[in-house]
Amino acid sequence: MLARVAAIGVVLAVLIAVPPLLGIGWQNAMTNMLIASLFAMAFNLLIGQAGLLSFGHAAFFGVGAFATLHLMLAIEDRSVSFSTPLLPLAGAAAGFVIGAFAGYFATIRSGVYFALVTLAVAELLHSLAPHWDGLFGGEAGLSSMRMPWGGLSFGSTLEVYYLALGWTALSILLLWAYTRTPFGRLTLALRDNEQRVRFMGYNAHATKVIVFAISAMFSGIAGALLAISNETANYSLFSLHVSAQVVLHTFVGGSTVFLGPVIGASVFTLFAFFVSDVTRSWLLYQGLVFVLIMLYAPLGIGGLVQAHMQHWSRLRWPDLAPAYALAGAVGACLTGAVVFLVEALQIVFSPEYAAARRRLDGAWPPIELFGLEWQVFSPVTWIVPSLLAAAGLLLLPHARRKLRESWDGVLERAEAERTAEPEPQLAGAVEP
Amino acid sequence: MNREPVLELVGVGKAFGSLKVMEGVDLTITAGERHALIGPNGAGKSTLFNVISGMFPPTAGEIRLRGTRISGLAPHEINRRGLSRSFQITNIFHRLSVFENLRIGVMARHGVRYGLMRPISRMSAINDEANAILERVRLARQHDRPAGDLTYSEQRALEIGMTLATGADVILLDEPTAGMSREETDQAVELIRVVTEGKTLLVVEHDMSVVFSLCDRVSVLVYGRILATGTPGEIRSNRQVQEAYLGEEVA
Repeated sequence: MLARVAAIGVVLAVLIAVPPLLGIGWQNAMTNMLIASLFAMAFNLLIGQAGLLSFGHAAFFGVGAFATLHLMLAIEDRSVSFSTPLLPLAGAAAGFVIGAFAGYFATIRSGVYFALVTLAVAELLHSLAPHWDGLFGGEAGLSSMRMPWGGLSFGSTLEVYYLALGWTALSILLLWAYTRTPFGRLTLALRDNEQRVRFMGYNAHATKVIVFAISAMFSGIAGALLAISNETANYSLFSLHVSAQVVLHTFVGGSTVFLGPVIGASVFTLFAFFVSDVTRSWLLYQGLVFVLIMLYAPLGIGGLVQAHMQHWSRLRWPDLAPAYALAGAVGACLTGAVVFLVEALQIVFSPEYAAARRRLDGAWPPIELFGLEWQVFSPVTWIVPSLLAAAGLLLLPHARRKLRESWDGVLERAEAERTAEPEPQLAGAVEP
Repeated sequence: MNREPVLELVGVGKAFGSLKVMEGVDLTITAGERHALIGPNGAGKSTLFNVISGMFPPTAGEIRLRGTRISGLAPHEINRRGLSRSFQITNIFHRLSVFENLRIGVMARHGVRYGLMRPISRMSAINDEANAILERVRLARQHDRPAGDLTYSEQRALEIGMTLATGADVILLDEPTAGMSREETDQAVELIRVVTEGKTLLVVEHDMSVVFSLCDRVSVLVYGRILATGTPGEIRSNRQVQEAYLGEEVA
């Protein structure tokens, strides 16, 4: 527990101390990381704790953003006076109200039907928003300016970053406190067995509506932070892409681990920040990462971290390190092969390359990749990815076996420790 | 013993579309009584439990709990009025700890259903009570284990504990000893006898030795109708029952 608090303290200290030393691009990326993290945490309250998979959470994210922009516009007109740092309250209120309303209908059913209703809610807003000038600003959306407040101008990216950090940290703290309350425990019971919850005297539907509204409220705060950061929002916030992104973030990070969604959101936001500058195929890579994690580490990155923390004393690094090194090498080979192929094909099939060929009367100019020139029809070009793929595939079964063997050892030791625990003599002798 | 009726069924029937699975069921259970419901497979025992506990409403007749009508109410409303049921197929919170499974029920009894302002760890009355039930169903050693990891008979004991935890005094147990060995059954019967002390019990049971040792009265359900109700002795000697159901088991 102490170690955990210390680790969180260190992360917070880094998040506070480091950004002033970074450029504006980085500060922006980190603000987006915080917003995505909060959104994923809010989303995970539904899937991770209540067991409800929403495919339309963009609705509440967007509603939070638009509500905040309306408040900002009113402040700009001086028709309302409101403190700028408290703007996300507008997003929270709008998210809660719309969440309670949509949640009332969505949670009448569970499972697939629930997911479809949430999807429909987001799509409804997505098609409605461009045609509703008064509320959503039509296709162009709404724009406003952050007003200075107190001694703060809120003109710099850094000030916005700190505002986002404060709200994200506070929201995550509240979400954690939620898990410790009776209602938080009931939420978990609901995930495990809704029928039994009903037969134990709880109104399952009312419970689900409340969880849904709270999740939408925190999503609304995340949307509000985006509105404050961008000073603009349009109907694309309601798009399926936004709803899908939060699902990806949550599952890559691990929905069964409390801070898992933060990991997933941070990794993918930073991935987008770095990779989208380098290649147009970054969404493809993001999708590949998602598929691989779902297939081979279904509990996500957070699940892997948690497994290591849980068995820390039983890990034998002399066994594990070679296995991890081998797995890393296999991963590097296969990644290299895939990236080489994707990038090479992307260039060969691009309009720019076609134009270059026309200029050269149909000849095949060399392609530039990783700072080198490669001839399209030279065997050398294609031998590189082939060798990488062959090496990776040959070593893959070996790496998997070594990983399995070293982890089997860890789990065996854990099981041995559990069964070796002295059993109390009398039933009831164990006190909590 | 107080002979005041606690649970009354008057002309209760249930039809799914045109299929009548139950008709004209009259049954009166008095306070403190242990009442068994027996009958061949498909006689409608589980349907009757589902109708009483609110899983679906009856299509005819009326069900009263201490004089107030409960037929047509939702399961949680019936539970809050003091009637709690267990399930034939174990129906627990698999990923929660054994303690937590029981605490959910105790929370309901204390009415902290939407508590969001205080951590549960500080609600000592609830925690103490959950621990007390944990000991009564003899699962204290399994306090922190995920309920899904328990053995089958331990899960059945937990199932009974959860049924009791909401504080209801009318308890419906649906085949509590199904699938148990002789020894496990004896233990389960002893457990049921102890934990339902002072409560009213209606139990569906296939094992006749359990029925005749545990219960004060027995009702026989055949083809969705009550064939006979009486003491174990009366039921044993009832010719109709023997022909319809008990057969050689009693002879």
